[in-house]
Amino acid sequence: MPTAKDLQSLSDQEVVALARAGAESAYRELVRRYERPVFSLIYRMVRDHALAEDLAQDAFVKVLNALDSYRAEYKFSSWIFKIANNVAIDQLRRRELDTLSLDGSPDARTPEQIEATALQATDRAETPLAELEARELGAAIEEAIAKLRPEYRSCIMLRHVEGRSYEEIAEALDLPLGTVKTYIHRARHELRESLAHLRG
Amino acid sequence: MIHKQLGDAELDATVVRALSRLPSHAPSRGFADRVMARVQLPQPSPVVLYRRARAWAAQPRHALALAGGYAASALVAMAFVVPWLLAHLPAIGFTAEWVAGRASGAARRGLLTISQRAASSGAADLLQSLSGGRLWLAVTALTLGYAGCAAGLHYFLRTPRGKDVPVQLPL
Repeated sequence: MPTAKDLQSLSDQEVVALARAGAESAYRELVRRYERPVFSLIYRMVRDHALAEDLAQDAFVKVLNALDSYRAEYKFSSWIFKIANNVAIDQLRRRELDTLSLDGSPDARTPEQIEATALQATDRAETPLAELEARELGAAIEEAIAKLRPEYRSCIMLRHVEGRSYEEIAEALDLPLGTVKTYIHRARHELRESLAHLRG
Repeated sequence: MIHKQLGDAELDATVVRALSRLPSHAPSRGFADRVMARVQLPQPSPVVLYRRARAWAAQPRHALALAGGYAASALVAMAFVVPWLLAHLPAIGFTAEWVAGRASGAARRGLLTISQRAASSGAADLLQSLSGGRLWLAVTALTLGYAGCAAGLHYFLRTPRGKDVPVQLPL
């Protein structure tokens, strides 16, 4: 039985092959690799920590229970992001959530919960002034992202936050490559418009 | 407020930079356990089960436990078998004599056949023609050959050991 240390050096396709053979450690390795990116994507779509966690769980359960249908010629990351995005979009359509709380999730009750869900965009290596500007900019960016259309939001998050290529995003969201580029271009335009008021 | 004059290109670069610096969020502790509680693991095939059992038994502690269990079960079995044998000794003795008689008769006939063929084949004459030194050389060569085959078979069949055994993906 491969150990967790052995699995870390394997590619996604190899880990999936082990998972299909019934290795529970392979399933856990897939969760370990993608829990942060998937949760981050969903959280920025729905802006609620508890809801994002439930949706991320649903996404992982769908993926892991359907490993037999995964085709190895496609990237596993594209497949899991596709399912995660669909789960988030479905929830947004049901709940029509488009609000954003910069000061923590509306469900946060204790100071610790508020701090955990509050948005931060700071770089510790910066000067205090730069840090303040970065914090203001990060908060403004988060607010602007929340106002984007869900499909624009998915594309911009996958491109500039998760660092995926255009081809991976097209594969993940099942969109033509040109459409992905158009969405990202329009999203950046809308974000620039939202931040134009910050110009000195 | 950003205290700078920014052109469109600079603002776009600022947007992209701000996006790339957005923090990555993580779910709460125990997320993987909650996911695994809802996942249906596939039933492994017999081949996979055999490989898992072999890998499990290859670990020294497990091998020792298996050997101890085997010895203990053999002792328990003997504790039942020996009294039964002693209680049914006359019948067993008669049966053993009958079997031995049949077996010894077959062995005697076999040995006679082998010796007759050996005598007629000329192998006996060949062996008798060998001098003392050559005879010992022939016996030594035969013994070493047999030992080499046994050692080779052992290395060929032994289970791989060590932590660096590569992960073998099932076909």
